[in-house]
Amino acid sequence: MTRKGSMGFFYKIRFPLMASGMICLLAGLWAGLLRMGFDLPPVRPFLYEGHGPFMAACFLGVVIGLERAVAYGRGWAYLSPALTGLGGLALIVDTIGLAGPLLVTLGAAVLVAVNIAIIREQPALFTAVMGAGSAALLVGDAMWLFGAPVYDLVMWWAGFLILTIVGERLELSRYLRPPAWAEWVFMGAAGLFIAGVAVMSIYPDAGAPVAGAGMIALAVWLARFDVARRTIRQAGLTRFVAVCLMSGYAWLAVGGAMTMTAGSWEPGLYYDGALHAVFLGFVFSMIFGHAPIIFPAVLKVDVPYTPLFYVHFALLQVSLIARVGADLAGSFVGQAHGGILNEVSILLFLAVTVGSVIRGRLSKKAAA
Amino acid sequence: MISEEAVKEALKGVIDPEVGLNVVDLGLVYSVETAEDSINVEMTMTTRACPMGEHIRDQAEAALKARFPEVKAVEARLVWNPPWSPDMMSEEGRKKLYGD
Repeated sequence: MTRKGSMGFFYKIRFPLMASGMICLLAGLWAGLLRMGFDLPPVRPFLYEGHGPFMAACFLGVVIGLERAVAYGRGWAYLSPALTGLGGLALIVDTIGLAGPLLVTLGAAVLVAVNIAIIREQPALFTAVMGAGSAALLVGDAMWLFGAPVYDLVMWWAGFLILTIVGERLELSRYLRPPAWAEWVFMGAAGLFIAGVAVMSIYPDAGAPVAGAGMIALAVWLARFDVARRTIRQAGLTRFVAVCLMSGYAWLAVGGAMTMTAGSWEPGLYYDGALHAVFLGFVFSMIFGHAPIIFPAVLKVDVPYTPLFYVHFALLQVSLIARVGADLAGSFVGQAHGGILNEVSILLFLAVTVGSVIRGRLSKKAAA
Repeated sequence: MISEEAVKEALKGVIDPEVGLNVVDLGLVYSVETAEDSINVEMTMTTRACPMGEHIRDQAEAALKARFPEVKAVEARLVWNPPWSPDMMSEEGRKKLYGD
């Protein structure tokens, strides 16, 4: 991208794109409350069915698509978050129509194309793993478009996030120069996970133990080789990011263990625990940690570090322990209480982040 | 004329928050060229998939403009060849990260 372009159209467009992702997040949170049985206005008919699609395919599809478009720097790459964001908005307007899933699937297809372009420029295991993550999103979205129930395809969406994140972490682990065998172990773990997810599309009960074992193996690999092992000894934001990462790996292992031992892979409390250990414990811990780095990179707004970041982080951890504990104990009431506090932690995260942006602007003005 | 060392010293104020180290010690600064009224820096990111590039480049330019306000033309460019490798980290960077 040219220097002029870096503050031009492809900079300005990032704000409405990010906003579309945030609207999907809020729709997903509302749908989550409806699913957990809270007596709230439905807003749109069947909105509750969109909880998974809004959170995983739309919100995270937009955010990761936008991140990758900024990294790659070519205009066409922005089609991914644009199509996905439009698809999410279409899904709010018409929760059972095909327009939403179609646009979201096209957005995923563009993300695959962006990743292929990046792999061609930098052929490496880590770019290939990130590419596999986008391919998993495309498979999950296409299955959703063709009417598969979410529980049949949700592991593809989990695969999108797990592979994208572990690919990024594998890349950063190079700082610590892991031994050559570590890369083979990583490939084995990722291969096991992908094989399990693929089998789950046809034989969910047979594939779940394999996918779960792959998740545990990836979590152990990350806990051993991630640069966060070192950076956790630093201070401020760098330490906060490392704390978020390490707790995320613990949750990935929990999600893996629950997926492995689910027995029958179908909606219910155990399934709720397995999925939210991954999507909230692993993915949202990662989002909490990286938002103060990614917001400045994507939107050019400073998010100065404050120890208050630990408040929403701690609330997420405690409320997720309560929720998964309630899932294991068979308590729907406990699940709902934990679940609502999970949502409060996400809203608190948004409020603290916006507060930090405002604080940063005020201190910049005062300095000027 | 401004020395390469002085430019690199100024760039040590640009930190990658993920690892808490500056871009010079991470080996992300490839070349520095200075003339009477210009500074040109070539730098990279560890991967093409990293969204931080534009932001870090802007921070590098801001750090140089703040340190050398008399210089009219300051430009930092992102380049991708050769690709970054861990061997490019400085001894100091390794010590800070490995803690030994």
